Amino acid sequence: MNAPTRDPLETYSAPLPPSAVKLETKNLDFFYGKNQALMGVSLPAIKNGVTALIGPSGCGKSTLLRAMNRIYALYPGQRAKGEILLDGENILDPSLDLSLLRTRIGMVFQKPTPFPMSIYDNVAFGLKLHEGMNAKQMRERVEESLRRAALWDEVKDKLNASGLSLSGGQQQRLCVARTIAVKPEVLLLDEPASALDPISTAKLEETIEQLKSDYTIVIVTHNLQQAARISDYTGFMYLGRLIEFAPTSELFTNPHAARTQDYVTGRFG
Amino acid sequence: MPGSATLVRNPGRSARRKLVNGVFVFFCGVATLVALIALAAILVSLVGQGVGGLDANIFKLSTPAPGSVGGLANAIVGSIMLCALAMLIALVIGILAGTWLAEYGGDGWYARIIRFVNDVLLSAPSILIGLFVYVLLVAPFHGFSGYAGAVALGIIAIPVVTRTTEDVLKLQPTALRESGIALGAPVWTTIRKILWKASLGGIVTGGLLAFARISGETAPLLFTALNNQFFSWDMSRPMANLPVVIFNFALSAYDDSRRLAWVGAILITAAVLAAQIIARILIREPRR
Repeated sequence: MNAPTRDPLETYSAPLPPSAVKLETKNLDFFYGKNQALMGVSLPAIKNGVTALIGPSGCGKSTLLRAMNRIYALYPGQRAKGEILLDGENILDPSLDLSLLRTRIGMVFQKPTPFPMSIYDNVAFGLKLHEGMNAKQMRERVEESLRRAALWDEVKDKLNASGLSLSGGQQQRLCVARTIAVKPEVLLLDEPASALDPISTAKLEETIEQLKSDYTIVIVTHNLQQAARISDYTGFMYLGRLIEFAPTSELFTNPHAARTQDYVTGRFG
Repeated sequence: MPGSATLVRNPGRSARRKLVNGVFVFFCGVATLVALIALAAILVSLVGQGVGGLDANIFKLSTPAPGSVGGLANAIVGSIMLCALAMLIALVIGILAGTWLAEYGGDGWYARIIRFVNDVLLSAPSILIGLFVYVLLVAPFHGFSGYAGAVALGIIAIPVVTRTTEDVLKLQPTALRESGIALGAPVWTTIRKILWKASLGGIVTGGLLAFARISGETAPLLFTALNNQFFSWDMSRPMANLPVVIFNFALSAYDDSRRLAWVGAILITAAVLAAQIIARILIREPRR
C-alpha cells in the first residue's frame, strides 16, 4: 500500500516543452448554469500524439472535451471561464468564428451518428460546406478519408448505400472518416468505442494509432486498458479537477498522486 | 426451496388470475371488433352504393342540374386545387413553425404560448375557422373564392403539420445535431441537411394526417369556396369541391344526384388511401 506520509490531495502535472503542445486548457472553469463542473483545469494535449482523459463518471472529462471545440456554446446555460489555447490562440474569444474553429477541431461522439444519406455523402458533407472542390478532388478526398479510417475496403463497392446500413463499428469509423475529411488539426473522441464490440473496438484503436502521426488526438475513455494501449499521455480527473497528468506508462505504473493510484489500481471508480 | 412447491402453492389465486385475464382479453377483443365492424360497414355501404355510379362521365362532365346526366369533374378538380394550395400553405408554415419550436424556441415563454395556441387550433371546430376566413377574405371582397377555401383548409392543416414536425424533430438524438455542428456546419444547415432528412418520414406522415383531415372538410368550405356548378380553374371565384357537392347531393330528392354523392365519397376515401400508399413508398429508407 502507499506510504502513509502521502498527501491525499496531491496533484501532479508532468512538464512539457511548449513546442510539444498543440492545444491546452489553462485554469479552465466550466459551468452548467450555477453548477460548476470544472475547477481550474490546466491540461495540455500533445502535438501528434494521443492524450487520454480518464476518471470516474461525472468527473468532468466529457465536459472538458466539449469545451475544446466549444460545442457547449449551443446551450445557453453553459459557459467556460479561463483559457483554451490552440497554437497559442485563445479559442474562448467570443469574436471567434465557431464554424471555422470546428473545422480545425473535429469531434467524434459516443454513439455512431451517421447522417441519413449515402456513405459517400456522409464523408463529403463537411467538404461541401467549407471547400470549393471539384468532383474529382472530392472523390479523392472521400477515398483518402475512408482509407485513413480503415473503412475503404469494406465500403468501396457500396458508396451509394445509406450510411445507416453499416454495422455499428463501421458507422463509427464512418464518423471518423467524415471528421478527418475536412482535415482538422485536432480530433476529439468522446468515448468512441463504448458502444462497440471488442473487434470493432480493436479496429477503431488501430485507426487511432494510424491517425496520431498527423493529428493531435484527445480521447475520453472509461476503459483504462484502452487508455493504456493507445495514449501517450493520460490525464486523470476527479470531481471536476485534473488530479494528474503524466506520460501514460508512468501514470499507470508509477502514479504520482495518491488518488490516481487508487483509481488505476481499481480501489474506487 | 423446492421450486414445484412454491409455483403451485396457491391454485385458487392462479385460477382467479386466469379468469380475470380471460375476461379482460375478451372485452378488448369485443371493443376492437366493434370498431372494425363500424369501419367495415362504412366501407361496404360506400362501395356498394357508389361503385355502380363510377364511370367515365364522372371525370368528364360537371355536376348536373337535377334530373340530367352529369359527373363530378368540376368538383374533383376544385378539390384537388383547394387541397393542393392548402397543403402548400400548411407545409411551408407548419414545417417552419415546428422547426422553430423544436430547435430554437426551447422552453421560453414565447414558444410555450405558440405551443398552447397551436394545440387549441388543433382542436378548434372547423366551422369557426370557416367563419373566420369568411370575415377575413370573403366579406371584404364581396365574394366566395377558391383562395378563401384554400386558406381555410390551410389553417386547419397548419397545426397538425406544426405539431408532428416539432415532435419528430425532438425525437432526433442530440448527438446527431451536435455531429453536424461539430463538422463546422451552421445550425441552420444542420437542420436543413441532416435533421429534416432524418425526420422526413415523420414530417410526411404529419402532412398526410393533415391532408386526410382537410380532404373531407365541408363546413369551412361552405363559408369560403362555396360551390360552382361549372368547371373552373379560377381560384378567385367560387369553386366546386367534393365535400360540398356530397353535402348538397346527398340531401337531394333525385336518385342520380344521390348516386353522385356516393361516388364523391368513394373518390375522397380512395384519394386519402392512395396518398398514404404513395407516401409509404416514397419515404421507404433505401437500404441494402
